[in-house]
Amino acid sequence: MKIIHLSDSHLGFSSYSRLDEVGRNRIEEMVYSGFEQAIERIIELRPDAVVHAGDVFHHVRPKIKPLVVFQRGLLKLMEEDIPIIIISGNHDAPKSFSSTSPFRLFEDLRGVHIAHRYRYERFAAGDSYFHCIPFCLEPQDYLAEFEKIERQGRDVLVMHGLAESLANRKMRSVGEHELSDSFLKSDFDYIALGHFHGQAQLSRNAWYSGSVEYFNFGESQDRKGMLLVDLETGRAENVPVKPQYMVDHPPIDCSGMLSEEIGQCLLELCHEDEIRDKMVRITLKNVNRAAYRSIDQGRLNRLGASALYFKIRPLFLDEEEHFERSIDRRTLHEEFSGYMEEKSTQELIPAKTKDDVVAYGSEIMKKAVLARHKEALDAS
Amino acid sequence: MRAEEREKKVAIKQENIQPSGAESLLNRKVIEERDTTYRIVSKNVSEYHFIVPFDLSEEERVEVGQIFSIKDQGLTFLARAVNIEHSSNYDGHWDTTMKGTQFFDSDQIFNRVSAEPLGCINRKLEFKKSRTLPTKFAPVARAEREEFRFLSQVMGDIEVGYLRNGSRLVEEIQVALHSEVMDHHMGVFATTGMGKSNFMKVFAASCMRLAARGQSKFGLLIVDPHGEYLKGKGPVKGLTHLKRYREGLACYSTNRQNASDPGVEELAISESEIFPEDIALLYEWSPPQRDALEAVSRIFDPASWLEEIKSPEGMVRMMQEGFKDSTVNVLVRRIKNELERNPYIRKRSSLANILANLQKGKVVLVDIPRMSDRSELFLLSVISRYILDEYKKDEKEGGESRKNCLITIEEAQRVLGSGSNISRFESIAREGRKFGVGLCAITQQPKLIDKQLLSQFNTLVVMGLGDRNDRRQLEESAKQDLTSMDIEIQTLEKGEAVVSTLNIPFPVPARIHRYEDYLRRLDKEDKQESLIARGGFKPFLD
Repeated sequence: MKIIHLSDSHLGFSSYSRLDEVGRNRIEEMVYSGFEQAIERIIELRPDAVVHAGDVFHHVRPKIKPLVVFQRGLLKLMEEDIPIIIISGNHDAPKSFSSTSPFRLFEDLRGVHIAHRYRYERFAAGDSYFHCIPFCLEPQDYLAEFEKIERQGRDVLVMHGLAESLANRKMRSVGEHELSDSFLKSDFDYIALGHFHGQAQLSRNAWYSGSVEYFNFGESQDRKGMLLVDLETGRAENVPVKPQYMVDHPPIDCSGMLSEEIGQCLLELCHEDEIRDKMVRITLKNVNRAAYRSIDQGRLNRLGASALYFKIRPLFLDEEEHFERSIDRRTLHEEFSGYMEEKSTQELIPAKTKDDVVAYGSEIMKKAVLARHKEALDAS
Repeated sequence: MRAEEREKKVAIKQENIQPSGAESLLNRKVIEERDTTYRIVSKNVSEYHFIVPFDLSEEERVEVGQIFSIKDQGLTFLARAVNIEHSSNYDGHWDTTMKGTQFFDSDQIFNRVSAEPLGCINRKLEFKKSRTLPTKFAPVARAEREEFRFLSQVMGDIEVGYLRNGSRLVEEIQVALHSEVMDHHMGVFATTGMGKSNFMKVFAASCMRLAARGQSKFGLLIVDPHGEYLKGKGPVKGLTHLKRYREGLACYSTNRQNASDPGVEELAISESEIFPEDIALLYEWSPPQRDALEAVSRIFDPASWLEEIKSPEGMVRMMQEGFKDSTVNVLVRRIKNELERNPYIRKRSSLANILANLQKGKVVLVDIPRMSDRSELFLLSVISRYILDEYKKDEKEGGESRKNCLITIEEAQRVLGSGSNISRFESIAREGRKFGVGLCAITQQPKLIDKQLLSQFNTLVVMGLGDRNDRRQLEESAKQDLTSMDIEIQTLEKGEAVVSTLNIPFPVPARIHRYEDYLRRLDKEDKQESLIARGGFKPFLD
């Protein structure tokens, strides 16, 4: 049995201010067309099932357009008799039981199985069973939901969140929705993960398919696309949907350069045809502020006109000091307990009170940070 | 029970102390019945003697290890009984005279208790080492919780048991180790069956509690070759049974069944994390084989040597370096065997997760049941090297928020022995502290551990050692003086311990909690706290 694994479509994501000829956000439209291309590609490949591992929509309350695009995609798959298994992710799951999930609109479609009720659900497709754990409200719920899984013989696990080992490697901040690596059991035939936007293999049988689109420059080096997985052999191969369209040039050292020279450098990098419909960022480091200012701004603007998005990021010489200043990397609750500790050692606060306040306060702060993260507009 | 409240029949005749008149010294006074206080009679600053009736009842009997308090003009001296002997005011062989039972005056015979001074508590309830001795005939009584109150102030945050006075418990006073000194190494010494595993579980449970509350100051790594810590066996509970603080625990297992638990990660080590010196631990090697093994890191890329050396080209390269084909064959065969035997060696690796959890201050349990002795050492060596290297890196990069860590080694005499060739653990013992990595050595035979290393251990938990050489080795290298506790250590019962650590002024006798009882207590404690931990108060999300 062959399946297609994709995730993180983020339909409805819009960014930057470039509009097309009828006034639509260009990036937003690109995300819709990317999803449509992915559906086309799936139909060409004719898998036995499709798994979408979360974040179909970018918002909990999507606008009409993303709903329509998604519905069109589902209907196409239905026509082709390709079942699809979907879980909700941190972006498209409401953060309380009282709101209604957008997925309610699509529940009754034939061959469409959606897990979005903050609890484990199992769906059968072909000869395989898909064990789905969608976005859960509390981090500890994942463990409880996982315990409900009963193996059926041929089992695929579908989850959404940042796996612990990836979080450790990426040095992500606390508060992110983290999945324990203990869920990555080697006896699943396949583990389909969503949330991380680069394609990545975590263990023999566990993969992030990555997203089809680029959502920020941090992803410029990521492999994008979908995965075609053969559940018999466990082999997973990349199915690219779009050519690489994000270019983040390595920083150019501009120390000692005059405005003319900087301009020349930029010109060389920005041939109109090469950057057409791409997202381009050029970083200039050690730039003399005066030299940069005297570059013809009109010329700079014209430079990136054909690009989907174009950004020059100058790092000025005189900002170096600022950058080198040590940054307080402590999280809010760490800083808070540090402060309380200090006051307590000065005997301004009794130790017992301090312990209570720190325990109680840290918990509230962690929750607040987590809530803030969930609401964040970036597409992580 | 206070001395003056006691109702004891005492019939010791003593000198009446009347400091006002010298002549009154000549008046002998019979201490009345019910007057129960013993009195200091001698001897010097480093040893006190007092006498007690020779026929004390079972309940009142004095035992070695008991702590007595001596009240003297606002000061309270504490002293621990180190020996008890028969004594009397008669000379010669009076007690072996065959003249029936009425040949002696029972007032004249008694037991003499020698006690070692621990220190003294002043009026401000501060404990100091004592530089003087209590006034002669100062009253002596068994120390009770009031006198031990000061200990509560010097105890740390990792609760392991209750204070014990002789074989009695002083439940109000918890014995707790200090998180801050855990990178100064710790030793747990006991013969089989004295409760080492129980102690480690209690210790781990307290660490889990701290971690789950976000108060942990160090991560604890336990590698368990017996498979007893994770889920326990039968009525004996494991660490996963402490559901309340499960958040503070991260588990890894090589056992299929254990790893099927959603909270337990399948242990995986990637080939690139294995170094030739780890392989060296696995077998006895002849000198040429050892040479070949040492040359490996020079000949191959350290990240892929395991892959390369197994290939025909790799073997050819070894031979080109002048090693005999038989030597190389043995080397490769053994490596292949080892990789096959240890299916946890994979592409994926758990080490980064283990490290991250330690740095978050959690308890990390690596469960490796039914693994051979050498395979276990091999694994322990790979993990601890990784941890030490990363902590060293962190030290350079100035990682501020990471917590220290403590690596537990079972049967530590295998790796810290004076003749041991496993230098990795020695190097942790010697330099780990600089980087925030401590060792917790568990052993039945401290006598086999290198003396110099042993002297680096600042926390000792001694739980009954029958072998005199073991005790002597400990006494000679301990930071606090344990020599006078020799008899006590020898006579410790199951679950009893003597805990010697920095920050607590003298070696403290303790009864370690029974893990199962401790579990029950932790599960019940402080409901309010559970509300916080479980997110019962959610002002932002609701």
